[in-house]
Amino acid sequence: MVVMSRPEVRKLKPASGPGEEPEADQAALLILVARGDHGAFERLYRQLAGPVYGVVRQVLRDPAQSEEVAQEVLLEVWRTASRFDPDRGSAASWALTIAHRRAVDRVRSENASTAREAKAAPDIMTEHDNVSEAVEASLERQRVTRCLEGLTELQREAIKLSYYGGYSYPQVGQLLGVALGTVKTRIRDGLIRMRDCMGVAW
Amino acid sequence: MLSGCYVVDALSQAERAEFERHLTNCPACEDEVRGLRETATRLALAAAVEPPPAMEQRVLAATYHTRQLPPLPSHARRARVARWFSGQTPATGGRRPLVTRLAVGVAAVAVVVAAGLGITEATTQHQLNNARASGSAITRIVTATDARTEHMPATGGGTVTVVMSARYRAAVVTSRDMPALSDARVYQVWVMSGSGARSVGLLDRGGSVLAGSVMAGDKIGITVEPAGGTSQPTTTPVVTMPVSA
Repeated sequence: MVVMSRPEVRKLKPASGPGEEPEADQAALLILVARGDHGAFERLYRQLAGPVYGVVRQVLRDPAQSEEVAQEVLLEVWRTASRFDPDRGSAASWALTIAHRRAVDRVRSENASTAREAKAAPDIMTEHDNVSEAVEASLERQRVTRCLEGLTELQREAIKLSYYGGYSYPQVGQLLGVALGTVKTRIRDGLIRMRDCMGVAW
Repeated sequence: MLSGCYVVDALSQAERAEFERHLTNCPACEDEVRGLRETATRLALAAAVEPPPAMEQRVLAATYHTRQLPPLPSHARRARVARWFSGQTPATGGRRPLVTRLAVGVAAVAVVVAAGLGITEATTQHQLNNARASGSAITRIVTATDARTEHMPATGGGTVTVVMSARYRAAVVTSRDMPALSDARVYQVWVMSGSGARSVGLLDRGGSVLAGSVMAGDKIGITVEPAGGTSQPTTTPVVTMPVSA
């Protein structure tokens, strides 16, 4: 006889929104998802769908395309949950890495066929003037904006262009008019300062 | 250093693949990448936008039509799991017969975990996939960096071991040398809290039960129940173990 947790496990806590469940619970949910637990996936969806859709939308801009890619990403979270290794990072970073990569890969493959216009580095505050948002995301956004302000302009622009804009580092170099080596070190230095500013534990 | 570009996905596919190969040989780089990746994750969280409401039902519905990947055991995990299974020798001594046959190798570990979950030849492939996924969850909990182990003797003989990970809010319960029961009775594992007792499974000889959503202050209890188990305990527990934080 196979012994494993009963479905009661997923009924214990009420449905919660983004940011309300701490990191350990997201990892536990993802482990349950790997075992085929649909209830756990629903709870995880409510945590991650907003950030997945949001980061994809930052890169792709187009709402319809963003929705399509976000759906693919969330289904990939379901499909490959067993690949999540909690010792290597949080559940959120695992899922959002999938999301960001998929959005960037989509942009890069489009770039191969059409010329992409140079765009100014996206401003995450103005992007959201007309879009609904969760309160928790707003707090996180304030924190990130504040820490971005603490970077040099070059560090900040390099990070925004690469992460939010989805540009490769040579493209960032072209847009900012700096050498490849400079781009690499600015992105890394900027991320290190962001990490320390936001008190990221890892 | 490419760690920053890697983490923001600013490398080409080829550069990314090469950097990932490099990471496998550079633990210091791996550490830095982990921290920077969590930082990039904050950038993503800050960009969160409520998705179109219809998306939820589409995604949830799609999961019912989508197979999941089975887990890949890693070399490090195998070694840790092997050490765990062989290292848990309680005061009473003696080893489970399963452990003495433990050999290094993916198949061997899968067999040990599968045997621990009570899988037989009669089990369907679907059940086996679920069990392997479940085995993987058990493995993760027992090999978690914050895993804590407690042993306690059971009334009537034998020892119960609970490995608890606060990180996962889950525990793995196993037993050794508990008296064999007739076919009419079974050991059932409960999580007991202020709101009552919740069954988390039946404990086979040499088997493991995974208890999820366990919190500090809860207790793990094992009772003897009629075969097939019950919805609430009907006997006094043979062992009760408080779950530490």
